[in-house]
Amino acid sequence: MVKDRKGTELSADTRKSEVLQGTLDLMILKTLHALGPLHGFGIARRIEQVSRDVLQLNEGTVYTSLLRLQQQGWIAAEWGTSENNRKAKFYSITERGQKQLELETENWERISGVIARVLRLQEEK
Amino acid sequence: MNQPRGSSLRSFAAKLRGFLRGHQNDPEFEEEIHEHLQLLVQRFLAQGMSREEARTAARRQFGNTTSLQEDRRELQTLLSIEALWHDLRYALRTLWKSRGFAAVSIATLGLGISAATAIFSVVENVMLSPFPYKDARRMVFPRIHNTQQSQDGGRQGYTATEFLEFAAGNHVFDGIVAATDDPVLYKQGEGTEEFDGARVTPGTFEFFGMPALYGRVLQPSDYEPGAPPVFVMRHKTWVERFNGDSSMLNKTFVLNGIPRTLIGIMPPRFAWYGADVFLPEKPRVAEPGAADAREYWFVLGRLKPGASIQQAQADLTVIANRLARVHPQDYPPRFTVEIRKLGDTVVGRIAATLYTVLAAVGLLLLIACSNVANLMLARATSREKEFSLRALLGAGRARIVRLLTAESLVLAMAGAMLGVLLAWGGLKALVAAMPQDTIPSESVIELNAPVLMFTLCVAALTALIFGLAPALQSFRRDLNDTVRESGKGMSGGFRGKWMRDAVVVMEVALSLALLIGAGLLMRSFVTLRQVRLGLRTDHVFQTVLLLPEDRYKTAEQATQFFRPLFARLKALPGVVDAAACSALPPSGGAESRVEVAGKTHDEEWQTLFQYVSEGYFRVLRVELQAGRVFTEAEVNDARKVAVVNETFARKYLPNENPIGRRVRLARLETAAEPVRDAWFEITGVLADVTNRGLQTPIEPEAWVPYTIAGSEAQVLLVRTSQDPGTIINPVRQAVWGTDSGVPLGYSGTLEERIGEGLYAGPRFGVVLMVIFACVGLVLVTVGVYSVLAYSTAQRTHEIGIRMALGAAGDDVLRMVVKTGVRLVVAGTAIGIGVSLVLGRLMGTQLVGVTAYDPATLATTTLLLMMTAAVACWIPARRASRVDPMVALRYE
Repeated sequence: MVKDRKGTELSADTRKSEVLQGTLDLMILKTLHALGPLHGFGIARRIEQVSRDVLQLNEGTVYTSLLRLQQQGWIAAEWGTSENNRKAKFYSITERGQKQLELETENWERISGVIARVLRLQEEK
Repeated sequence: MNQPRGSSLRSFAAKLRGFLRGHQNDPEFEEEIHEHLQLLVQRFLAQGMSREEARTAARRQFGNTTSLQEDRRELQTLLSIEALWHDLRYALRTLWKSRGFAAVSIATLGLGISAATAIFSVVENVMLSPFPYKDARRMVFPRIHNTQQSQDGGRQGYTATEFLEFAAGNHVFDGIVAATDDPVLYKQGEGTEEFDGARVTPGTFEFFGMPALYGRVLQPSDYEPGAPPVFVMRHKTWVERFNGDSSMLNKTFVLNGIPRTLIGIMPPRFAWYGADVFLPEKPRVAEPGAADAREYWFVLGRLKPGASIQQAQADLTVIANRLARVHPQDYPPRFTVEIRKLGDTVVGRIAATLYTVLAAVGLLLLIACSNVANLMLARATSREKEFSLRALLGAGRARIVRLLTAESLVLAMAGAMLGVLLAWGGLKALVAAMPQDTIPSESVIELNAPVLMFTLCVAALTALIFGLAPALQSFRRDLNDTVRESGKGMSGGFRGKWMRDAVVVMEVALSLALLIGAGLLMRSFVTLRQVRLGLRTDHVFQTVLLLPEDRYKTAEQATQFFRPLFARLKALPGVVDAAACSALPPSGGAESRVEVAGKTHDEEWQTLFQYVSEGYFRVLRVELQAGRVFTEAEVNDARKVAVVNETFARKYLPNENPIGRRVRLARLETAAEPVRDAWFEITGVLADVTNRGLQTPIEPEAWVPYTIAGSEAQVLLVRTSQDPGTIINPVRQAVWGTDSGVPLGYSGTLEERIGEGLYAGPRFGVVLMVIFACVGLVLVTVGVYSVLAYSTAQRTHEIGIRMALGAAGDDVLRMVVKTGVRLVVAGTAIGIGVSLVLGRLMGTQLVGVTAYDPATLATTTLLLMMTAAVACWIPARRASRVDPMVALRYE
């Protein structure tokens, strides 16, 4: 039985977003790497745009992820003005973040490759 | 995500900042969320929703802001109480699921912690804070040490003059008191009893800073001339002699002929000078030659804060040098003033032993920790899937470490609770087995607050030690490790394996050394118990009669007391015989230079001797080897006859008939009541009787009639036909019926006394060693088991392949057992080596058995091997039942 840290069993829906969360950090890093400094709303839009209909994103979790990445020193944040002239916090990837992104991307590709192979194995059986 | 080492430090720093900032709301973050929601609402409005619909949709898309805040807080804090609670509940649940593991771990830790707690309790109560007195650590006493004497020690008694000089002339004490012995006789009913009295100087009770339990302590006014005579009593005396009767207070007792009022009873732990009663006395400079000029006071000073022992030594040396010029007869030609701390004399003897034992116990605790660490590693291996899944689901590594830490903490605390329980029981046994006078009478060995604090710290420390290994391992592993590494056997790492093997070898070695030590002590103790004392201790009651010196000076006076007393005693129902002697058996009495008529020799001949009545030989049932013991008539006439022991005859009259030979006991000619021309005729030879303890060879001894000297014979022995413990009251009546002014002391059965004097020390050593050896054996069992369980769990895959390739269950069993046995054999070899080295140190404590006793070595080694074999067999059998299909499917 899959349980979260609070010991409650997870419904199918939340499990989906939880799975996402593990990789959300990676996606945000990649987004910032590709598009340059963005605010939280922008990041959420970009991920939505790329993954529409596949992932359901609780956009709030983006901010948890952002805080975590900040604590690791992989991204930096500063206040600026958004396109419609409102005050917004802009996040940008740091040099260390770039390195981490490379590392994680490589890892991810390897894992997903293995998982894909494993899944094919099961189908053949 | 993979986190490089530096980054976990950085996030820790961020958390620390968050922790220091506290849990306030983050306005910037709220603004950010607000903006985001506004933008979402605008977007939905643009899609044609109503404002209400747009707001709901925006909130749905954004998710729960409260849980977001919580997540954020958790990221920013070190410890959230809530999360901790969840972790603990989770830990309890998982541990409950693997009850066997939890039980073994808790029992192991409990054993280790209990041993540490018990011994620390002894150390704390006996050595760190044995005294309940105020500033006891600064209390010291001076000792005049003769530097020409090689052995330790020196004079500790000072004349009143010396005490007054010390008190007035010193610059290092902020308080100084003294006490002197004063045997106190008092009328009790129809007879007389004795108190160990102490006369104490003004300010004594203020010095110790302890108020009375009932009534009051001595005050300055009690010391004034003409003040009503009063005294204070020790708690123990009050309870044992007066059943704790509170109506005793303010009653008047006639002490040494003076009516005195009991004004106070001290609290239980006040035991200054070991006295029963405390009488006020102002010491004054005695007239030279006066009776009290030779009265000695024990001096105790309290160092001023900051004053060192060396300063005190220098200061008192100046005073002592001055005194030595005035009273040269009291000082050796060359001396130093030694400053000793209160309790040093008692505690000093056991300090080394205690610290050694504490170190051994620490080692046991470490072993317990490494055992539990191994068990946890073994469990972590089988939980790898669970952890990978958690990591995959986004649980941070810190989270997993926290889960494991919570489990460790729960185990450690449960272990601590069990440990305290065990220690509580163990301490009772320990204190009961402890020989008398090994600890200061003030100290009470108990589980007090400092000890419990110590236990708590130890438990937390153990959790850290044994919880670290699996936690670190989970740090090394990451999300894709389990996927990437197909060979499970590799993930533990070879470095870890080497460490674990080394720990097991060390455990086995230590455990065997303990077992051998315990075995040797046990054999030695059995031998000790079988030593023939040469006398029958059963059915003998003994007591010491304190004959008042003024009325009992001459042999005649003593005889006039003992003759009717013996008659009275023999008339009592249940009494077989009675006798008097001058030394408490099995001690052989005083020493004397001896000459044998017709023998010349260069070296000085010595013999022990004691005064006895003719009944002595019958009461103790000693065996006569030649001649006869003296008769009642000879004793009554104070004839100079003697009986000697076998050793005397063999040593001083070899190959001759000793009967009728004459010997001179020189000491008698210089005694308090000198015997002129102390030549005695030997009438008989006795079989040897232990006279210098069990471990020293028997010395020559002579027995002479008690009627020869004054009131030397003060020990009364009574042989009974019933339990000698019940005879005390009739004996007391008989003594008081003869002379109501004679008190009885040290009453009891001879068996108990000999047991206390001869066997209590060695028995305590045996008890301690056996306890530690048992703990060691249990720990080594768990240790061997846990390491094998871990390595087999890791090798499940390999074992599966072996079995798939045709290995039978028995082959696997043999393989695993072989792994274990290799470690055990290595440990055994080291253990035997260690104990052979240690044996030399133990040699002095052993009687009738050598440190290399092959029977003990073989028995203990066998015991250890068998226990270890069982520990190997359980995981081996489990491994041999591995289903190859299941084992391989794990991939």
